[in-house]
Amino acid sequence: MVHAPILAIAIPLLGAFALPILAKLNRRARDLWAVGIALVTLVFGLAVAGQVFASGKPLVYTLGAPSPTASVTEGGFPIRIVLVVDALGAFAGIIALLAGAIGLFYSLQYLAEEEGKTLGTSLLLLLWAGILGLVYTGDLFNFFVFLEITSIAACALIGYRVWESRPPEAAFKTMAMYTLGGLLVLISVGILYGEYDALNIAYLSKLITGTLLDKLALGLLLGGLLMKAGAVPAHMWAPDAYGEAPAMATIVLVANTQAAIYALLRVVFTLFGGALATPGIGWLIASLGTVTVLVAVLMAVVQRHLGRLVAYGAVSQLGYMLLAVGVGVVAAGKGFGEVALKGGIFHMINDLASVGLLFLVIGAIRRAVGSVDLLSLGGLGHTLRWESGFFLLGALALAGIPPLNGFASKFLIYESTFKASPILAAIAVLSSILLLAVVVRAFHGVFLGPKARDVGPAPWGMLVAMGVLAVIIVVFGLFPGFFIERMVSPAVQALLGGRAAYLAAVLGG
Amino acid sequence: MGNMPFVVSMILVGLGFLALIVRRNLIKLAIGISVIEMGVNLFLVSLGYVRGGIAPIYTYAPPGFKEMVFPTPQALTLTAIVIGLATTALMLAFAVVIYRHRGTLDAGKIRELKG
Amino acid sequence: MRIGSGEGFWSPIVWAILALGVLAIGFAIWLQGRRTYKRGTEQEEPFLSGERLPEGAGVGATHLYWGFAEALKPLLMRLGAFHSGFLGDYVGWLLVLLVISILVVMLG
Repeated sequence: MVHAPILAIAIPLLGAFALPILAKLNRRARDLWAVGIALVTLVFGLAVAGQVFASGKPLVYTLGAPSPTASVTEGGFPIRIVLVVDALGAFAGIIALLAGAIGLFYSLQYLAEEEGKTLGTSLLLLLWAGILGLVYTGDLFNFFVFLEITSIAACALIGYRVWESRPPEAAFKTMAMYTLGGLLVLISVGILYGEYDALNIAYLSKLITGTLLDKLALGLLLGGLLMKAGAVPAHMWAPDAYGEAPAMATIVLVANTQAAIYALLRVVFTLFGGALATPGIGWLIASLGTVTVLVAVLMAVVQRHLGRLVAYGAVSQLGYMLLAVGVGVVAAGKGFGEVALKGGIFHMINDLASVGLLFLVIGAIRRAVGSVDLLSLGGLGHTLRWESGFFLLGALALAGIPPLNGFASKFLIYESTFKASPILAAIAVLSSILLLAVVVRAFHGVFLGPKARDVGPAPWGMLVAMGVLAVIIVVFGLFPGFFIERMVSPAVQALLGGRAAYLAAVLGG
Repeated sequence: MGNMPFVVSMILVGLGFLALIVRRNLIKLAIGISVIEMGVNLFLVSLGYVRGGIAPIYTYAPPGFKEMVFPTPQALTLTAIVIGLATTALMLAFAVVIYRHRGTLDAGKIRELKG
Repeated sequence: MRIGSGEGFWSPIVWAILALGVLAIGFAIWLQGRRTYKRGTEQEEPFLSGERLPEGAGVGATHLYWGFAEALKPLLMRLGAFHSGFLGDYVGWLLVLLVISILVVMLG
């Protein structure tokens, strides 16, 4: 299990490229291969998370060294490429693992053979590998490479339905934005390398003093990552992408966006944590988050395309996370900063469950009816019983209705934001109420009303995938304390006080 | 004059952004993104250049050489070029698909996803 | 199983017990009502001021919050124009975000 971190990235990568070859031989074998790859990846990923949570120390794995623990060369130079998984990385890894496994399982019965199931599954595995690499890497250039792997795989998946006119448009726009964001990150990596001759995050963090070039690099990184995290005003790709991507890809796309929020936390707290994590940056992120929440919810009110409506709901949830991150930076040394980060990080997994569940249900509706236009839908609750129940559950969790999981994390965000700035908290609460109105409207339009058409229920595999997310929503809602104590608090500690441990784990001493 | 390569690369990046904002043809937008990529690649390569340095290959180094250029930025650039190739190919492929559906490449008219 | 935020706390179990209590009270009140509802009669028809409704009439999703959307129309129109769907605008706004973040880092 010492090689678990790299295997968790390498195995889905291998699976992705071997899948089309297997599909030439036998379709059954291809599906079994995909399931097998998913299970093995889950085992290794959870082993990494288990090790990190059990030991409480960052896990370092060195590539291309005589032994995986030799993260520095004999003279003490940190030039080797490392994977570093601390509690925050392990938590983000769990989110990615969950999303990828559920998306893959859902896709087995969701994708039709003649629509290119082989390539869809292959791209999904590639995206999964990219996200896992993104959250595990401890090297700034590898971070850029994994960012681009996720971009390419994600955009190919967004444009999966090339026979329709909307998805390629969404894919083109998203690709342009993702590439620009990636290039901003690359310029920043270049600046840091030119200044310090290093790419290792821990070593750079030790060296960075806050010169003008450091500030420029941080600004570029912030711009690229905020775009990727869906912050207003560069959020416009997100509703396009989420609304048009096939359902099994959307849930992984949500995990991909959350990986960007993870990266934002890593950059602000670990890479620049020593010199430049000023309150100004915190206020920037918090206010952008609040604007994101408000704009996205208002836009969701007027949507008539169901996928786009939920997509705007998903963007508003990203705004809540950004708000929490911002408050966490503003009040880094105070008690409510810690509460804010707890809420924000816990909200990542809650958001994945609720938004993911909604998108999976929308996929089932699209598969059964062939349309997701609110004007043409209606009365589906008579036949799609399970789906309507799941949709209602996901919608209420999204809007933060107690006792579901969305409320538990939003409660922490509201309380801590109120102490930092009552106005931001008021806007956040108001938007949450508006969001409830939006999802009630969507539920009403899709499932209630007189029975309009006869549709068959979704296959069992898709229902099981939705059911897993529904169970997560209820369990995380009823026992939030358990999960916060075991998983979220260590992640917050790794951010706030863990920079020294992160540096020591990589650089030694 | 030592900073000239950086200035030129940033001018390229700026021109690319200008093309993205001003131009409307999808192919030209893809070209704009490529220009930005080239600017960034130029920036990376010029980071590692040492005046009078030779290519960093030890086995072929002439006797009595003084300095080598940094190999790492060149490795980074190669990776970035490969990634840029993949993104450009994907964008052009989508441009073709969009043209087949809409019969136009004008980004001002390809606005079904708005609001 | 409660989570604290420094001042307040949230306990889903306590909340669930209270909610069950409220539901029980509601159910008790509902039981007091008269039982004159009969299935399969005219009572199943939707009632709208005694008017006969045309076949298939109902409240569609777009009718909900019509007044709300109408009241916010100036704002929503402006927001709709903001989301123009034109790639050049996307890139322009990305540059705005970039400049803002660089300025904030430089000054703050």
